[in-house]
Amino acid sequence: MTRAFRIELRRSAALGSALILLVVGVLVLFFAGETSFTTGWMQLAMSQRLFLALLWPLALAAGAWQARRETRSHVAELFATTPRPRAQRTLPTLGAMGAGVVAGYLAMALAGGLWIVRTARYFPVQVIAVTAVGLLSLIAAVWLGLALGRLLPSPATAPALGVAGLGLLLVIPGATRPRGWLALVFSPIYEMNLPDAYTTVPGRVSFAQAIWLFALALAAVLLFAGHGWRTRVAAVLPVVLGAALAIAAMPHHERVVIDAIDPVARELVCEPPVCVSRVHRGLLGEAAPPAREGLKILAKLPAAPTQVHEDTTTYGPTMYPPWHDDVVLLRVRTDASAHLDNRGGTVAEVVAGAFASKPDCDRFAGPAERLAAAYWLIGSEPVARGDYDPAAIGEAVRLWQGLRQLPEGEALAKVAALRRAALTCTVEPGQLAR
Amino acid sequence: MRTVSAAETAPTTYPWAVDAEGLTVRAGRHLAVDGLDLTLGTGVHGLLGPNGAGKTTLMRALATVVKPAGGRLTLLGEPVGGRADLRRVRRGIGYLPQQFGFYPRFTVREFVEYLAWLKEMPKAEVPGATQRAIDRVGLTAKADARMKTLSGGMLRRAGIAQAIVNDPAVLLLDEPTVGLDPEQRLDFRELLRDVGVDSCVVVSTHLVEDVVAACSDVVLINEGRLVHQGTPADLAAQGGDGDAGDSPAERGYSALLRKHRAGEGR
Amino acid sequence: MRWLTLYLRSRRAPLALAVTIIGSATMWTLWSVFSDSREVAVELVVLTVLLLVTTLTATLGGPDDALERTAALPWPPRRAAHVLAAFLVVAGLPMVTLATGARFGPAWLVLRDAAGLIGLTALGAATIGVAKAWFVPLGWTLAATLFPQSEPAVARILTWQTQPRASTAAAVTAGLLAVGGLVAYAVAGPARRAPAEAGQP
Repeated sequence: MTRAFRIELRRSAALGSALILLVVGVLVLFFAGETSFTTGWMQLAMSQRLFLALLWPLALAAGAWQARRETRSHVAELFATTPRPRAQRTLPTLGAMGAGVVAGYLAMALAGGLWIVRTARYFPVQVIAVTAVGLLSLIAAVWLGLALGRLLPSPATAPALGVAGLGLLLVIPGATRPRGWLALVFSPIYEMNLPDAYTTVPGRVSFAQAIWLFALALAAVLLFAGHGWRTRVAAVLPVVLGAALAIAAMPHHERVVIDAIDPVARELVCEPPVCVSRVHRGLLGEAAPPAREGLKILAKLPAAPTQVHEDTTTYGPTMYPPWHDDVVLLRVRTDASAHLDNRGGTVAEVVAGAFASKPDCDRFAGPAERLAAAYWLIGSEPVARGDYDPAAIGEAVRLWQGLRQLPEGEALAKVAALRRAALTCTVEPGQLAR
Repeated sequence: MRTVSAAETAPTTYPWAVDAEGLTVRAGRHLAVDGLDLTLGTGVHGLLGPNGAGKTTLMRALATVVKPAGGRLTLLGEPVGGRADLRRVRRGIGYLPQQFGFYPRFTVREFVEYLAWLKEMPKAEVPGATQRAIDRVGLTAKADARMKTLSGGMLRRAGIAQAIVNDPAVLLLDEPTVGLDPEQRLDFRELLRDVGVDSCVVVSTHLVEDVVAACSDVVLINEGRLVHQGTPADLAAQGGDGDAGDSPAERGYSALLRKHRAGEGR
Repeated sequence: MRWLTLYLRSRRAPLALAVTIIGSATMWTLWSVFSDSREVAVELVVLTVLLLVTTLTATLGGPDDALERTAALPWPPRRAAHVLAAFLVVAGLPMVTLATGARFGPAWLVLRDAAGLIGLTALGAATIGVAKAWFVPLGWTLAATLFPQSEPAVARILTWQTQPRASTAAAVTAGLLAVGGLVAYAVAGPARRAPAEAGQP
């Protein structure tokens, strides 16, 4: 067994499949759209799952390609005279191809992991579950490819399966609408897109997906290793049973994953006076110095804020961090290189954050006013940093020039009044200009 | 009275390694082997016959690739056909098909090891047996070359290596000398004589001189039936000066076939 | 005609043609059943073209390419004709649907992708061999279908399959691939396999 397995590892399509998955996986991880995986391990695991959209059909095609080897090489005659039963003969192939796709996926995880390892500190156990489901889906795909390639040993089977696999993944969400949780059972990529910082995949979701994929893999093994119509019919059993169990185990409501929040990831980790969420712990060292500098600038104000906390607002579901008048909220994000995003603008962000209002307030200071006040305190002209509307920058520069023309004390009073008004939710339109 | 089944006593007590009685085998819809009676014991048996005589079909039946359509076939004391479990018989078979299929990406050693594994050899014996088989066919220098890089003759020898790796009690070689150069054919005859000391070797070929040189026994079939079975000397004795052929054995071959065809025609 | 029939049979073209027709019919039926829109989604159009191209790839090689090479008749024009015929099949089948309730269009996009992908697969057949020729078209097109990008220009070239029909970069890429594949395959023919393996189709 081990000898045959070693030979298959070297000589089957396993190595090639691993390499293709790795190369394609790394390319899409870093170059397809925004690099949204840099936040942390959960985001990396979920991004990898999303990119199964490409890897899953490829694994299917790789399996079908490998399955044609016996036909291509005309060994059926020779092998028919050997005593070892087909089921045993297929085990090394199944093992090697499974190991190949696992290695490819894990190597892709390693490449992404090395990219974020310096700043990603929070490793929730669900990451393992999410990755395990991804691995299981690839194993199921490559084995299913082997099984279908054996049933239809034609040169066109492998590419057709690749196309059909992608088609299937694209069609599942539409075909199951409005029952999104059904799509979650059958599609390993569903709801894995654009994970935010505090997101998670509930254990029950991973569990239900694992049941289905395990059943699918089992059916594929029966089809590939068995012979005769009896095993082919028997392969239907795990599919039906697995689907039923997985549907029963999956929570039956919409947006199960999108609305899932990991409270532990969202908890604050502090290095007074600066706190960030646990998922961003690795950024604390980068965020603390500009945050302290921002607080120092703000100290000119009466009743100045004394702490900077990460703004842990989430919009699915909508949850705000607790409000304290002496705390400035700061949005913390990672950039493509897994470091603090908008590092140069962090001081200004902290200072501008002092003019923000409670979430339920509708008489708050606009971005232009916040920027103008902040840059007046800093003592330089407002510049476009982060994701401000360019129009707001222009307006901010205008307001800032207005403040500069005033005597120092008068301007400070205006800025202090803006902060007071923002805290009490009584900002008048055009307050800073008057 | 007989209470012990054939299978239980078979490994040591069968009189013939191959025992066929009224054997019929189909190739497609056509009866390629048609009522053949044949017994083969230890030794090297040369299977001769014109194209379409049913040699390959007979070899495939002996190799358990195709099941007999009728009659009785016993290999190594165990009946073959119907729903019989062939696993034990197959452990004792070595087979080189006429069209030898192989995995081009495997090295020679890997392919022979893989076949040894398929033949359910004990794990510990596989590396040694593989090396021995490769040495015996003279491929030692090419043992770690990929199969796809081998020339036709080397491939044939790799095919022979996989057939003998499990020291088979029945070794079936379908046209093994195709592509071998004269020197290699001499070595191959040596190998045949060596294996034939304690095994039943069946070599299907068109080369009468190979049979005369290496075989202890000649089996001539035509149109699915046994025409002649005897020693090479018997074969040579059958021919007269008027028969076609450049050697006594070839003349004997022609004479036997001519007589058989005449008998059929009558 | 006799020559053509034998040639097509040696390339297993009847089977491949049947599969392309069944494949298109399946795609057409799926869209007709599952969607109310007459215009088929562009991803599905691209995937359909890809499916047809990969199915026809197998016909680019025969059972013994080395034997074919020894023939006295000139191969290049015949090989070019083969590629062009494959292009007509791939482009033609979706065109038929334009008159039906599920339109695999727009026509220009189908023509562009059919030409580019046929060229790519012919290029593959001429370089890495017919058996593996579909690797690159499949991987590339799946990726381009999933992650189409319109900026910068190099991204438009890299995802040319799914660019809108007005895209010049995509059209030029497809054209280069088409011409490159046609010329390479016509001149070089299917890539040679190792001698011992040649006996193994």
